[in-house]
This record gives sequence, C-alpha cells and structure tokens, in this order.
Amino acid sequence: MTAPMLEIDDLTKRFGGLVALDRVTLDFEPDVLHAIIGPNGAGKTTLFNTITGMLKSDSGTVKFRGTDISGMAPHRISRLGMSRSLQIKSVFDSMTVAENLWIAAQASQGVMHPFANRSRFGRTAERVDRILELTELERLRDTPAGTLSYGDVALLEIGIALATQPSLLLLDEPICGMGPAETAATVEKIRHLAESVDIIIIEHDMPVVFDLADRITVMAQGGVLARGAPEEIANNAAVREAYLGEEEEDDEPDA
Amino acid sequence: MKARIDRTVLLAVLALLIVAPWLLQSMELEFWLDILAEVLIWSLFAASVNILFGYAGLLSFGQALFFGMGMFGVAIGIAKLGLGFWPALGLGMAVAVGTAAVAGALAVRLTWHYFAIITVVFSLIFYFIALSAKPLTGGDDGTSFSMPAMLEVGDFELSLTDQTVQYFFILSVVGAAYFLKFLIVKSPYGMALMAVRENDTRASLIGLNVYFLRWTAFVIAGGFAGLAGCLFALFGRYASATYMFYHVSGEGVVWTIIGGAGTLFGPVVGTALLIVVREELSNMWEHYPILVGLVVILTVIFAPKGLMGFWNALLDRLTQPPADRAAGGEPHEPREEAAAVQVRGKDRP
Repeated sequence: MTAPMLEIDDLTKRFGGLVALDRVTLDFEPDVLHAIIGPNGAGKTTLFNTITGMLKSDSGTVKFRGTDISGMAPHRISRLGMSRSLQIKSVFDSMTVAENLWIAAQASQGVMHPFANRSRFGRTAERVDRILELTELERLRDTPAGTLSYGDVALLEIGIALATQPSLLLLDEPICGMGPAETAATVEKIRHLAESVDIIIIEHDMPVVFDLADRITVMAQGGVLARGAPEEIANNAAVREAYLGEEEEDDEPDA
Repeated sequence: MKARIDRTVLLAVLALLIVAPWLLQSMELEFWLDILAEVLIWSLFAASVNILFGYAGLLSFGQALFFGMGMFGVAIGIAKLGLGFWPALGLGMAVAVGTAAVAGALAVRLTWHYFAIITVVFSLIFYFIALSAKPLTGGDDGTSFSMPAMLEVGDFELSLTDQTVQYFFILSVVGAAYFLKFLIVKSPYGMALMAVRENDTRASLIGLNVYFLRWTAFVIAGGFAGLAGCLFALFGRYASATYMFYHVSGEGVVWTIIGGAGTLFGPVVGTALLIVVREELSNMWEHYPILVGLVVILTVIFAPKGLMGFWNALLDRLTQPPADRAAGGEPHEPREEAAAVQVRGKDRP
C-alpha cells in the first residue's frame, strides 16, 4: 500500500462537555476519491475544521504528506497544498467572480507586492481563465459574487479552492443547494478533478456518494463507525442500522 | 466611457488645484488658499481612515493618535531638538509609524466593535500622556516653533513661510500620497486586503495571513495619518494634544463615510465638502454640526457608498444603454464602485 497522504492520529476535539471528535484515527491514501458520511453531528465538518487549522484540536496529531500540521495556522496549511470548500458557502461578496479566483490563485504566490499592478501577473490570470472554464463561470466573470445564485456560489466555492493549486481538496457538501442538472454536472467535474488532485468529500446525498467515492468513511458520534468500498458500506449491518436506516432503503444506489 | 469621464474630472480638479494660488489671488480670496491647504491635509488624514475601513474593513476611531504623533514628532524635533525641516519630518513619520506598528500588533487581534474600542482606548491613553508630559509636549499649551527653511542654497532659501510655497509643498505631498494609495489599491496586496475585508475565514483558507495583512494595513494607515499630522504641524507651526483626541478621529471617519469608504477619492470629496460647510456655516450658526449629523445619517441610509458611490451609480446610468443595464450591465470596473461599505454583522465567530 502507498503511504497515506493524510494521517490522523488519535484526534480529539471537545466543545465544552460535548466530544465532537473522539480519538479519531484515520489514514487517507492518495489517488483514491474519499467520501465521509454520517448523520448530522457526527463530527464530519469538525474533522475538516480541525485538519485545516480553523479549530485547534485538544489532542492528537494530523500529518499531511509527512508534515505534522497539528496546530498550524490555516493559511500555512493552505500553502502546503491543502484547500477546502466550506459547507456554509462563503465567498468574497463584493468582489467579482474573476477577482475571487484571482486572489485565491495569487495568495499562495505572495501578495506583498504593494506597488505592482494586478494586470502584470500573467500566470495568475491564465489560471483564473482555466478555472472559469472548468467551473463554467466564464459568463459570470464580472458579476459580483454576492449576487450569484446559490448553485453558482457553490461552483465558485470549488473554483476558489482549486485556484490555490491544491494537492488535496476537501469538499464540504459541494452540491448542497444545487438542482438535479447542476448536481449531475458537478459530480462529473469532481470525478474529473479527482484524476489530478486528491479529494475528500463530505456529502449527504447518498446516490452521489455511492456513485462517486472509491472509499467511504462512516462517522457517528465523533468516531469512525466503518470504512470500506461503497458496496461494503452498503452491506455493513452496523452502518445500515445506525445511519442508512431501514426506512431510508431507497437512498441506496442500487435500490 | 465612464473611465474617460472620471479621468477628465480628475485632471480638471488637479489643474484647478495647481492654478488655485493665482486664481484665488485674482479673485482676492487669498485666505481660501489656506483653507484649501487644510482640506488637502485633512483628506490625507481621511485616506488613513479609508485604508483601514474602506479597504481592510477595520473601523478605527484612533487615527488621530498617529496624526498627533506626526505633529509632535515635527514640533518637538524642531523646537526641542533643533532639527532642520527634513529631519523633523522624518522624526514625525518615524514616531507615527513606530507607534502604529506597536499599537497595531495588539489592535488587529480584534475586529469590529472590539477593534474600534481598542483604537479609542489607545488614543485616549496617549492623549492623556501628551497632556501630562508638559516638559516635552507643552501640555495644554502645546508646542510651537518657528519654521526652518526647507532648502537653502547660497542666498536662495525656500521656506513654507511663503504661502504659495507652503501650498505647493502640501499639494505635492498629498498628491504623492494619493498616488501611493492608488498603487496599493490596485496591487495584489490591495486585493488581498479587500479579500480580508470581505471574508476573513475564506481569506485564511486560501493562504492569506490575515493577521499580518491587517497589521501592515494598520501601519500603512498610521503612516498616512502621521504624514497628515506632520503637514499640519508645519502648516500651523504648532502641535497640540487636542489633535490626538478621538473627536478628531471621528471627523476622519465621518468625512470618509460621506465621501465614500472604499473609493480612492471618496475621502477627498467628503473632507472638502464638510470643511467648506464648516467654514461657511460655523459663523452663521454655531449648531451647524446638527446639519452634519443629519447628512451622515442620510448618507449611511440612502448612499452607503457615499458621494463617490452616488457619482459612480449616476455615471453608470448615464453611460449605459438601458438594455445593457437590465442584462447585468457593463463589465464592472473593479473596486471603485464595487467596494461597498458593508455595515452588516461581520463578526463571524
């Protein structure tokens, strides 16, 4: 087996009396599309927040491609090549779509050029164009991000995360709020992206997860309930009972 | 089209500012030249508020502290240390920027109301220190000095005692500072500041060091305020703790908001308007600040981007065919009009 790109060891995060992450130990191998599922409050987003430095863990370590990133500031982790989209969509509202992508693309290249005009950064501009094309936001390039539809903001979220040139992309419910056509298109894009960048996705839409993921991690109550290939998870009795539930039978892909 | 109108207006204003000494002389309105100089200095001060509030999203009520530091740096440098013109100016800037670097390191750990409060606290602390350090600052009386020459070559002497020289000195310094501000706003750094203003969580996730960016903005803004203070000390041959009081900071905020925070020239417009209003109305009606207060309230409600925002919207209407407008409009020239001052809850957890 190849060395894991992300190693989470004994990670614990408490909010007062609530244990959001309970000694989570997880390895994510590269070149595999990972999905994390679990009921609300299972600790999925807290896991992302702790990995990316937005929250400090109470104990345990996170290693990203061999580097210990526990307790590192979010911007430093980002510069190591880990990027994420947020569950509650969050972009730079009064800036245009192109500007949103521009600053994301330039951020890792250094922004302390107080006197250089933005138009001089050709490589960044190229990258912005590429991502506009990839996310099909070209037609909206000069629209302020705050006026976009929910589905377009979700695409911009992914675009911003990509613009930082990550080697690992954490997507937190990327298709939440999209219509069926947009969802199908976005799922294809994510599948395509996975060929060039490692992806871990949190998603509630079961058909999407079982269609997309190579490997699924099921979380419940701050811990890991099960891991495995989609068919293993679908047939796992503990998962069916705790999460999928008999009454949600039709949520399964092969149902 | 729009950019052309903007450029034309800017050049016209600049031309008027350059011929102002002769124009006002021919109209026998010489005293307005000093008012004009004062407007320029205070609009540099308002630019300091604008860099923090309009671009970095930090509302400071403490910029007067750095203005005062610049003033005292120059006045003490000349009166107590016997420095010449340029070294005194350098001392004023060094003191202002140094104070901003230290105060900023603490202040930018906070945002919104907490940040506003800590800036007021800092400026109050230094206000009282300046009042009580009588041997150094002159306490209540302030420190006055006589103007050293700016340039002496043989018999030739250039000094701010000449009203026209003084005006052009102030005009060129303020002009250069605004050009600097323009460069900053258009640079990647300026864009990064705006990203931090818009959404600091997202900014840190794309790899921006939010704390460092805010701190540098604070230091740059401190430099602008300090430079304004240096100019004002030279202009009045005097420094006083009165100008460190947060009341002065508040005026800078008011000018910026009325003119248009987050726009390059908003602070100039706001400052010019309110200082002229003050000059014209304060003799007639001592309660004229009531009117100013009313204008501020109306601006915040009806023109949140200030007069510059209003001007930009007007130009958009005039220069854009209606069909285009319905379709989402002309590609939107970044920042100038897009940078709305967003007075909404920004203090995300």
